[in-house]
Amino acid sequence: MIDAHGLRRRAHMLAAIRRWFAANDYLEVPTPCVVPSPALEEHLFALPAAGRWLRTSPEFALKRVLAAGLERIYELGPCWRDREHGPWHGTEFSMLEWYRVGASLDDLMDEVEDLVATTSRVADRPPPTWERRTIRELFREHAGLDPATASARELSGGIDESWEDAFARRWVMDVEPKLQGALFVTEWPASQAALARCGVDADGWPIAHRFEAFIDGIELANAFWELTDPVELRRRFHAANATRAVLGEAPHPIDEALIEAVAQMSDTSGIALGVDRLVAAMSGWSSIAPGRVPDPSTE
Amino acid sequence: MAYKVSDIKKGLKIELDGQPYTVTYFQFVKPGKGQAFTRTKVKNLITGAVLERTFKIVESIAEADVETKTMQYLYGDDEFFHFMDTETYEQIAIPLENLEDESKWLLEEMEIEVLFYKGQPVSVDLPNFIEVQITYCEPGAKGNTAQGATKTATLSTGAEIQVPLFIENESWIKVDVREGKYVERLKR
Repeated sequence: MIDAHGLRRRAHMLAAIRRWFAANDYLEVPTPCVVPSPALEEHLFALPAAGRWLRTSPEFALKRVLAAGLERIYELGPCWRDREHGPWHGTEFSMLEWYRVGASLDDLMDEVEDLVATTSRVADRPPPTWERRTIRELFREHAGLDPATASARELSGGIDESWEDAFARRWVMDVEPKLQGALFVTEWPASQAALARCGVDADGWPIAHRFEAFIDGIELANAFWELTDPVELRRRFHAANATRAVLGEAPHPIDEALIEAVAQMSDTSGIALGVDRLVAAMSGWSSIAPGRVPDPSTE
Repeated sequence: MAYKVSDIKKGLKIELDGQPYTVTYFQFVKPGKGQAFTRTKVKNLITGAVLERTFKIVESIAEADVETKTMQYLYGDDEFFHFMDTETYEQIAIPLENLEDESKWLLEEMEIEVLFYKGQPVSVDLPNFIEVQITYCEPGAKGNTAQGATKTATLSTGAEIQVPLFIENESWIKVDVREGKYVERLKR
């Protein structure tokens, strides 16, 4: 079904988003949708396209733009992730990514707050009030466990699986469903860093310098203090492919252009935000569907 | 036989810890950088107990040894609900407590899917919609045009649901059994 009101609302919000980026000196850049390597992550599934891939995010290409010296860039366009379906997921979706040289993760959280307030005004809604919490605080509060000390079996509730899977299972079962309001979740485990720099928290627990933004338990965005070490990046590509092999998935090609680009990058933070979800959350919808034109073969 | 987690849908019959369950709810969830899961609610076909289970996308789930047979609902007594195979006239009985939630939608003579677990009749799969007569409701409130105003009606099955004010006593209506909601008035 085509929802004319939903599409109008979406168009107005996207126009407001582009005005916000223009007002903040960001340049919109178009990068290719068909790419030689789709992602570094173990748990993303790309769609093949003529011997290459449909991008799962514009991240790798945007980093080449950063390496060329542009300091504030964004892209708003389609991305594809296979095997993701439901009210808040679609194989094809709209991603908004932006990168700012010299910005910290706190700077990006301030920008998300401002951008979300901009879109809420389009819907005549009050802007949400944001909280910033570490993932350890949230696990202690909602699951009664500290991920810094809990074993895989404690996290999984007795199921025999890797610490990373047990952590994700407990998050999905006990923590994420209880998240209310607008929330930044910081200091994720170092093993789930993807392309973020790693460090330690105040107690010396290894963390990734990244945050995720949630509205009422729906994940809206993921941000990194970007990894700029090419040697570490190559190591992570190999490690992700080793995990994929264990899961019975084909390896993703190592993106040599990305490794070269990362070596040229300045200190940068970047963020990827699901625009379909933002539009839906700020409109009070219970799925992303009203803001999208459906694929007739799946209706 | 085993199902993949991506096969999960409402009404799928699965076996967990040696018990048969039917899936009543499912949701795909994928934490940012982690493994994807499907969150489910499943209902025990024998006890009616509802459990929440979260499955990793890569897991497999055992199929429950459940067979279905279309039968006619006859009546309920103090202990059992009775059903009949309309071809062989064979009758079977399901204990009252197994159908605690379902019984309010059972219409005498209705055709219904009876579920057999390891050969024993244990439960039924309700149809999505039933056509049913109202046995009691307050007279229609004329002149009240407030949008969405409703009143309580008792159905011939014993269930109570909310209906629009213009619905009258003894009207036939269509009901969405999954939601327990009024759908439309039927001309009879």
